[in-house]
Amino acid sequence: MNVVTRHRRLDAIWASERGFRGWFSTVNHTDLGRMFLVTSFFFFIIGGILAMLIRAQLATPDSAFAGPDIYNQIFTMHGTIMMFLFAIPAFEGLAIYLLPKILGTRDLAFPRLTAYGYWCYVFGGSMLLVAMLLGIAPDSGWFMYTPLSNAIYSPGINTDFWLIGITFVEISAIAAAAEICVSILKFRAPGMTLAKMPIFAWYALVTALMILTGFPPLILGSILLEVERAFGFPFFQVELGGDSLLWQHLFWLFGHPEVYIIFLPAAGIVSTVLPVMCRTTLIGYGWIVAAIVALAFLSFGLWVHHMFTTGIPHMGLAFFSAASTLVAVPTAVQLFAWIGTMWKGRPELHLPMLHIMGFFATFVIGGLTGVMVAMVPFNWQVHDTAFITAHLHYVLFGGFVFPVFAGIYYWLPHVSGRKRFFRLGEFAFWLIFVGFHVTFFAMHWVGLLGQRRRIDTYTPEDGWTLINLISSVGSFVLSIGIAMVLLDVILHVLSSRKIRRNPWQAGTLDWAMMTPPPSYNFASLPHVDSRHPLADNPALPVRLAQGHGYLGTPRADWRETLMVDAATGRPEAHVIYPANTRLPILMSAVTGIFFLGLLLKTYWMVPIGMVGVAGLALRWVWMLGRRDDLGAQHVGQGVILPHASATDRSPGWWGSLFLMFANATLFGCLLFGFAFLWTVAPGWPPLVRFEPSFIELGVGVAAALGTALALRVAMAAVRNARATLPALGIALTGAVVFGACCAVMLWRAPPPVDHAYAATLFVLGSYGLFHAVLIVLMTGHLIARVWQGYTSPARRSEFAVVSLWGDYVAVIGSLVLLVGHLSGLSL
Amino acid sequence: MAPRGVILATTLLALNGCDGATSTLQTAGPAARVIADLWWAMLVGAVLIFMLVMALVVLAFVRRSPDVAADERGQVRVWIIALGLAFPMVVLAVLLGFGLVIGERLLPRDDVTVVQVSAQGQRWVWTFSYADAPGRVTEDILHIPAGQPVDVSITTADVIHSFWVPRLAGKLDAIPGRSNVLRIEADAPGDYQGLSAEFSGENYADFGFTVRAHDAAGWADFIAGETE
Amino acid sequence: MKDLVRILIAPLVWLAAFSAVYGLHGVICGFAVDGTVFGLSLARVLLVTAYVLAILVQVVLLWALYQDRFSSASVFVNFVGRASGWVGVIAAVWTMLPAVLTTYCG
Ligand code: HEM
Ligand SMILES: [Cu+2]
Ligand SMILES: [Cu+2]
Repeated sequence: MNVVTRHRRLDAIWASERGFRGWFSTVNHTDLGRMFLVTSFFFFIIGGILAMLIRAQLATPDSAFAGPDIYNQIFTMHGTIMMFLFAIPAFEGLAIYLLPKILGTRDLAFPRLTAYGYWCYVFGGSMLLVAMLLGIAPDSGWFMYTPLSNAIYSPGINTDFWLIGITFVEISAIAAAAEICVSILKFRAPGMTLAKMPIFAWYALVTALMILTGFPPLILGSILLEVERAFGFPFFQVELGGDSLLWQHLFWLFGHPEVYIIFLPAAGIVSTVLPVMCRTTLIGYGWIVAAIVALAFLSFGLWVHHMFTTGIPHMGLAFFSAASTLVAVPTAVQLFAWIGTMWKGRPELHLPMLHIMGFFATFVIGGLTGVMVAMVPFNWQVHDTAFITAHLHYVLFGGFVFPVFAGIYYWLPHVSGRKRFFRLGEFAFWLIFVGFHVTFFAMHWVGLLGQRRRIDTYTPEDGWTLINLISSVGSFVLSIGIAMVLLDVILHVLSSRKIRRNPWQAGTLDWAMMTPPPSYNFASLPHVDSRHPLADNPALPVRLAQGHGYLGTPRADWRETLMVDAATGRPEAHVIYPANTRLPILMSAVTGIFFLGLLLKTYWMVPIGMVGVAGLALRWVWMLGRRDDLGAQHVGQGVILPHASATDRSPGWWGSLFLMFANATLFGCLLFGFAFLWTVAPGWPPLVRFEPSFIELGVGVAAALGTALALRVAMAAVRNARATLPALGIALTGAVVFGACCAVMLWRAPPPVDHAYAATLFVLGSYGLFHAVLIVLMTGHLIARVWQGYTSPARRSEFAVVSLWGDYVAVIGSLVLLVGHLSGLSL
Repeated sequence: MAPRGVILATTLLALNGCDGATSTLQTAGPAARVIADLWWAMLVGAVLIFMLVMALVVLAFVRRSPDVAADERGQVRVWIIALGLAFPMVVLAVLLGFGLVIGERLLPRDDVTVVQVSAQGQRWVWTFSYADAPGRVTEDILHIPAGQPVDVSITTADVIHSFWVPRLAGKLDAIPGRSNVLRIEADAPGDYQGLSAEFSGENYADFGFTVRAHDAAGWADFIAGETE
Repeated sequence: MKDLVRILIAPLVWLAAFSAVYGLHGVICGFAVDGTVFGLSLARVLLVTAYVLAILVQVVLLWALYQDRFSSASVFVNFVGRASGWVGVIAAVWTMLPAVLTTYCG
């Protein structure tokens, strides 16, 4: 087969539908990555326009531009859009676009999930936009402190838009994160050991793991607050045993890691682009990996530094102050490794490098002021002032926007296959750089002079007029610069000069393909044995196009790829991806019905949405099945591999593992909340307790454990081609009994509106019940599969997935019942 | 402390033609003063570190001679172990030590005689009461004696607020269901502007109060109910 | 997966210990634990014990990461694992130091 035929065949298999209809059915990571990026930049522009409105309002004292009701919506939406609808999705977009390419493979682990995440992002984001257009946008600030955000002090629908819209968007972050983890660990080019992974993959892996741990606290917090607002469960109301500080803990348990979730991918861009710009390789690869890991963990031990003024005892503050200083060390390691890399090579000031220099200058200042605000006494003065606004923009704009611009200019030729034509970019950079520092540098000062953040106006007597005017002028220069970058990008896409291959002389696999990239990335998959495969072998792209790698011969209409061992990169299994489908957009629309029902308080829509999602989810997994065994396949290079469904560790198993990790974090936060309220909140212990029953407890725990055991038996049975239905029947019964025990607990518990104790118990019981239903559905699916002849020892992987969930439910189910019943004992 | 900074500060203030009524750097009490000193020290340190980093970056472009350390091990030793690990850890350890000591010093302890007052925030008014004058309540103006430590016990009747008198001390939040104690002290009699520093909705921008520090005689009069 | 555990375990244990010590401190202040042992306040003794324990656990982990028995086949994984073992030790000593130094419930 020659190169052109191979390309035609592969493209026919992998391409999305033509025209705009393809947008709705594509599951291709290149398309979806681009869609994510474009959408996130659309939100960046909206957020930027809101920033301009803020600066217009604050430019002069006694401004009558917007009243507080509108102004509060403006700054809340600016912060919310920038954090949730721009920064995180931009990372997701970049990772989705780049990872399979830089890892030398054809797509991410779960193509349909990528699309589902994208549509959840679009629909959730649209909810917030609609709220803004109608003038009923959230207005309690981006961290939504209760009681200000509760039903008494924010009675309108504004806050609900935030809680529900953001949770909806968060689904896409969790989906993308789980997918990124599995893709990096299991879907690499053969031979790529952990040590040979491109550094960007490490950054993305750690970031994704952080999303899986960082977002659940916020999701839980949002659920609790929404339930409090809608049904009066008093989680955060102090008169009824709640505590507003619980919200702050949950929010910042998310909020601080969030900052590193935003910064790490940007640092990944710097670590990837900077060495190329210096014609050398990064120094201290292993050190940097260790630094990223350290950073990730330390960043989860900092959250209380946002609460230094809440009256927590000094020792508590001191722990977090110490941790907040320590987190600067791994950041310093990276910084000096970058500078050392510049010394090692010959730096050239191309446009991406210019933005990296802008990043250095800005981010270092942000880091230094960060260490300052980590000092408890200093924090007492500047907390909630413009000094913090300045600091956070030095970190977020400096640490994210500059590197992202560097990345855009670096990969733009990859996306478009074209050369930059006009030299607008350099000019734009200087406008952005100067404009940014004029806007924000003086804001440190005005903060020290006592200007609080979030004020809608001030008086001439305050003495802040000049600084604010300068800042506003700077922000307009900045926005002209950003507008010019956008113009530059648009002109670039329209210009017609094709690039030669690998214009930057990079060593990573993303440049070992045609540009713009073909739908299947690589005509055959490379075997990797160094960190810079393209630098070692410049002829690699041609060899791959000629089909000299793995899977070089297209078969049937299969979208084929390989799954590898996580540590060594040894090929393990043969995977066939699902093709284009509108199922993801449909499913996220139905998910939207669920959320819309909650938002509009039209509760009849909620069960419709739930049933719809469950039905579509079953259809989703059902589509992957086969009625005949596929048998082992030749994948090229003399390697023969089993199909993934003939293993116990299929992609679905790995995906479940990471979802479960996020799920367990959420559950852990719920238990933390319970313990926190019990020990710290005023108004405890509650007067009315749950009446414990050791029979219900015993039966429930036994049922949960029995379900898990039966599922394991079923798994062994299918592997050995024995009958599985008896074990599945037992599992089903066990799950029903366990669910009944949870339901009885909910039924017998004191009314949840009376006290935070009962309210928390209600959430615990519902969590257990939800998982019981999940297991019932999953086991039911297996039974249907067996019935219809979809299972055999070579088509058994779904049993392992369900069994994994069974194990999880056994653990959390026992905990739910134990905590629930034991909490009723009075000692 | 830092002469350059002070000059910069005064010029900026002069440019604005303001009296710095809410400036954390125009200190009028011991707590604000130590914090301002900490700030100046940190500013000097930060400027030096920033210049060092930028110098290293610029040198990477202009440098003609070969690299300081040619092999990977040497590079790691210089850039990662010395500059990336040792340097920041030393600086941060010292800074952290200072921060903790100062934080300890600012805690309200019971080893001196203090005046007890209470502050309750409610959208959008502060109500103050006095242990020395039971039944005495003032709105939006807090009376204290000058030159004497005062413990303000801070509560809220609705949402979260924050009690902040920038020239005297740092801020402390008013959290529902809790009472937090902040120690403030004014060196000299006079009026000091107070601000509520946690976003509270509609009228947040104007939500402030005044702290009036009296001399000994004035305070005695206030306690006795002779000033309004 | 085991390799990933080698890399993540030490800082993970630090995070758990750090949260536990913070929680212990919360409980001590929340329930106003007082009393003395050996002339020292019970609260201080508890906190310092927890601090020392946390460091010990990290040291043991670091030791284990250097043992052949628990090592990976990959030089790289061993390097990163040991580096994060050091991160664990340093983080434990550094971040929980206030247990010795500062006032506990003020
Ligand atoms: C495009 C240039 C930008 C300008 C001119 C700008 C300006 C501002 C201003 C003036 C405020 C303070 C409002 C106040 O509290 O007084 C603010 C708040 C904020 N900004 Fe930006 N910003 C920009 C970009 C960004 C970016 C890129 C991010 C994040 C990735 C971001 C995140 C935030 C957040 C989280 C807040 C706090 C909102 C709140 O208090 O609820 N901003 N911005
Ligand atoms: Cu933080
Ligand atoms: Cu920060």
